[in-house]
Amino acid sequence: MKEYRFKIILILAAIALSIYLLYPTFQDYQNNKTLTKELNEKRNEIKKLNPDISTDQLNKMVTLVEDSIKIADPSILEARKKRVKLGLDLQGGMRVVLEVNTGKLLEKIASNPDDIFKKVLADAEAEAAKTDESVVDIIGRKFQERGIRLSRYYGTIRQDDNEIMAELKKSSEDAVTRAMEIIRNRVDQYGVSEPSISRQGSRRIIVELPGVAKEEEAKQLLQGTALLEFRLVKDAELTYSIMQRIDDVLAKRTQSGVKDSLGNEIAAVDTTTKKADTTAANDTTKQLTEAEFKVQHPFFSVAVLNPQSPNADAYVSKDDRNKIQYWLSLPEVQKVIPDNVEFVFSAKPLKTQDGKQIYMMYLVNKTPELTGGVVTNAQANIDPNTSAPIVNMEMNSEGATDWARITGANVGKRIAIMLDGVVFTAPNVKGKIPGGRSQIEGSENMEEAKLLEIVLKAGALPAPVDVIEERIVGPSLGQDSVSAGFNSAIIGYLAVGLFMIFYYRQAGTVAALTLVLIILFILGILAGFGASLTLPGIAGIVLTIGMAVDANVLIFERIREEMATGKTVKASIDSGFSRAYSAIIDSNITTFFTGIILYQFGTGPVQGFALTLMIGIAATLFGALVITRLVLDILVSRGIKISVG
Amino acid sequence: MRVFHNLNVDFLGKRKFFYLFSLVLFLIGLISVIFRGLSFGIDFKGGSEIVLQFDRQINITQVRNNIENIGLGNVEVRTFGGETGALIRTELQELPKDVYPKVVQTVENEIKKIIPNAEFSPVEKTANSITYSFATPEAANLVADKLFNAGYQTSKVSEEPDNKQIDISVGIADWIKENLRTKITGNPFKVVKEDRVGPKIGNELKRDAVIAVFLSLIVILIYLGFRFKFVFAIGAVAALFHDVLITLGLYASLYGVIPGLNLDIDLSVVAAFLTLVGYSINDTVIVFDRVRENMKIHKTMPLIDVINKSINQTMSRTIITAFTTLISVFVLLLLGGDVLRAFAFTLMFGIIIGTYSSIFVASAFVLEYADRAKKKVQFS
Repeated sequence: MKEYRFKIILILAAIALSIYLLYPTFQDYQNNKTLTKELNEKRNEIKKLNPDISTDQLNKMVTLVEDSIKIADPSILEARKKRVKLGLDLQGGMRVVLEVNTGKLLEKIASNPDDIFKKVLADAEAEAAKTDESVVDIIGRKFQERGIRLSRYYGTIRQDDNEIMAELKKSSEDAVTRAMEIIRNRVDQYGVSEPSISRQGSRRIIVELPGVAKEEEAKQLLQGTALLEFRLVKDAELTYSIMQRIDDVLAKRTQSGVKDSLGNEIAAVDTTTKKADTTAANDTTKQLTEAEFKVQHPFFSVAVLNPQSPNADAYVSKDDRNKIQYWLSLPEVQKVIPDNVEFVFSAKPLKTQDGKQIYMMYLVNKTPELTGGVVTNAQANIDPNTSAPIVNMEMNSEGATDWARITGANVGKRIAIMLDGVVFTAPNVKGKIPGGRSQIEGSENMEEAKLLEIVLKAGALPAPVDVIEERIVGPSLGQDSVSAGFNSAIIGYLAVGLFMIFYYRQAGTVAALTLVLIILFILGILAGFGASLTLPGIAGIVLTIGMAVDANVLIFERIREEMATGKTVKASIDSGFSRAYSAIIDSNITTFFTGIILYQFGTGPVQGFALTLMIGIAATLFGALVITRLVLDILVSRGIKISVG
Repeated sequence: MRVFHNLNVDFLGKRKFFYLFSLVLFLIGLISVIFRGLSFGIDFKGGSEIVLQFDRQINITQVRNNIENIGLGNVEVRTFGGETGALIRTELQELPKDVYPKVVQTVENEIKKIIPNAEFSPVEKTANSITYSFATPEAANLVADKLFNAGYQTSKVSEEPDNKQIDISVGIADWIKENLRTKITGNPFKVVKEDRVGPKIGNELKRDAVIAVFLSLIVILIYLGFRFKFVFAIGAVAALFHDVLITLGLYASLYGVIPGLNLDIDLSVVAAFLTLVGYSINDTVIVFDRVRENMKIHKTMPLIDVINKSINQTMSRTIITAFTTLISVFVLLLLGGDVLRAFAFTLMFGIIIGTYSSIFVASAFVLEYADRAKKKVQFS
């Protein structure tokens, strides 16, 4: 056995690793089953208590319960993160390819588009639809042919055509960045899990939203323009007093035992976690006060204030955001908030050192002081004096007049810069800003400043996008596909396995059992890479089942030939493996190459196929050349008679 | 159990017959491609495709009749994954000119239903959307919300508070859904799949697909040229070329012929073609590997005999490897569902033709070359 020790350890390690990588998938499957059951029970319960509740309200409450369960047991999210991901075609969702409409962009940024311009643009767009040439190039050429200088519509009179062309190209690329940021901002707020927004080439954006049920709503996220607003942040005193009133309302609500099954549910879950904490911390007195605080001040226990800060911006952890939003939407809470103000959140969460994500919550005026239409330009820079990143913002004359008045009246106060309802930054007004040229400080790094630049431009400059491809798969179809794929894999395995056992007897049995490990490895590697399993991917696994035994067939046939020459079983196995080796390697490598090419060529589902095909080949080689070999060797060395049919 | 044990057939002696056979297959395919053309799916052609799931069993002819006269021209309607599903496909990207006013009329009637004496006027009409301007921002918001809830795709032109303009999409899928909703009553449906591909993407994809297939052939040529003598690599790739062309010919001659089997060329079919290229080479490699071995053992034997001997010796494994793969592909064909059917079919035919060609085409090519070159072909 000694000579096999290394191989045995290698194989056991591979099996253990695969199981380790697949365990979260199994866990997640179990979690989902219990979670769905619990949520359905809860849903029915809430319905029974409030028969006339609206579906929307009901869904909100159920989401809250779901959140609280997930917070109570972080392993649920942990498992979800590490499971084998399903592609959009299996779990349902939408994939949209957007392309920036350069024609529309050029029209909107032209300074005085006349009839000639519109005609040239229309011609250019028609031509661009047929060729690969970009609209900017075509339009430049067309104006040249007509003897018209580009400066008539763009840039300044001193710039020559080449300079303007370069600027136009840059603005068309900027539009892609802008559109991406607008979409990312909205998708983040919409709460899609695992969204993917990526850039393809110079003009395209691919957005993938898994599990989105309301396609129509999701499509709205992608279209239209973004709203940039400058809103006044209320001072700390007012904010604090409103928060206190909310806190009182909520405290009374829990103490008077309002028949709100949801509140009870959350409280129940909270106490269970608390119990766990208590035992762990072993500090009962402190825990008790914390629990009391939670009952007496429900709002302040999740919207945490910093006593040292002059501002009353609350810190809200990501997990509690839904809860706060639900509280704020309650009619009795609405009553204590003045009509002209509202609570809003920061766009991106801060990350604390222990990995928690914290949002800031601000109280701002409902009516904006200014909207983004007045911003003409923004530029992220480094302040030459302090070498801190800053953003310079310019406004048109109309906006500049208002801006001077607004800033003059609010020196020392803060103005929140908001895009589509969330706050990107809330700088202090240092003094009256005449002329519309402002300098915004306080960005942590250049990246943040760049983001702010994009946000400021997003309110002013258009980023018109066209949907050039969209694919939507409903969850029910995805579910059908999963079961069809799963059945094919099982039946395929049984058919191929039985054939191998029937045709090659003991050796075939070894091959059939190895096949199970090969499938295990494929799934384990998929989970380890965090790659998505798609329907063609499952097809790839089924195909691998058929192809994986090919290597065994080559080896077994060779062993039969060797045995026919009168060699012993052991010698036949040795030379069978070594002689079949080159054919196995050659044929698998060529298939692997086509897998690579397919991966490059394909998108989404097809890439999933290429990936399982390639992983399948690697697993096959390991299975046939190492595992089968080892098992046969051990059997022979133990003196067990092996038949290859 | 053994199949093809101790086979001794003079395959190459009958190669003229197989040339003829391949030629006939090839010509059938070529003629079909010329006269019938290939049927591309919306991945390549662009167009719209929606799959509807009805609550109860649906008569597909009823769906077809209801869609045929809504002015979209040639609309393909067929069942999808069982008796409650329907797939509707059109290659149109946008509504035809004569239907467009009708759709506009429907939309305007809806608006009038929401605000009876609304003042509004179209600002811009493009192929896929209309922009209306309203008298007040409130009217615009109200119409946008109501139409949206009624199933229309609406969006405000700008999020500024004083925005008075809204965009309403008037795409093909919108029009089909709208019509079915009003015409088929008592059997509500859900849209379970909706694909729309612009024509430009389709053309790029077509080019990429051809490049991908050729690239894989070249890569294989280089790899085999490196592993075997170059003439063998060319023989192998010629056989692959033969497989791809004949399978493509099969697509041209069979689409629309077999009921329930949709032979439109889409992305997954291209994936099948590439897999076919990668898999079909396997059998060829096995034969060549044996030829290489036999050439070393039987140094004086004429090439034709060496190849014949090798083919005979490897016949059983060639057949069995193809057979096991066919089993799993066949299972996919039966159980994999509508989405994978064309993929499985391509692979199934491809594996059969690929096995045939590795025996009869690739080796024959090497032999013909050797005969012409009048030179002893050698390995390494």
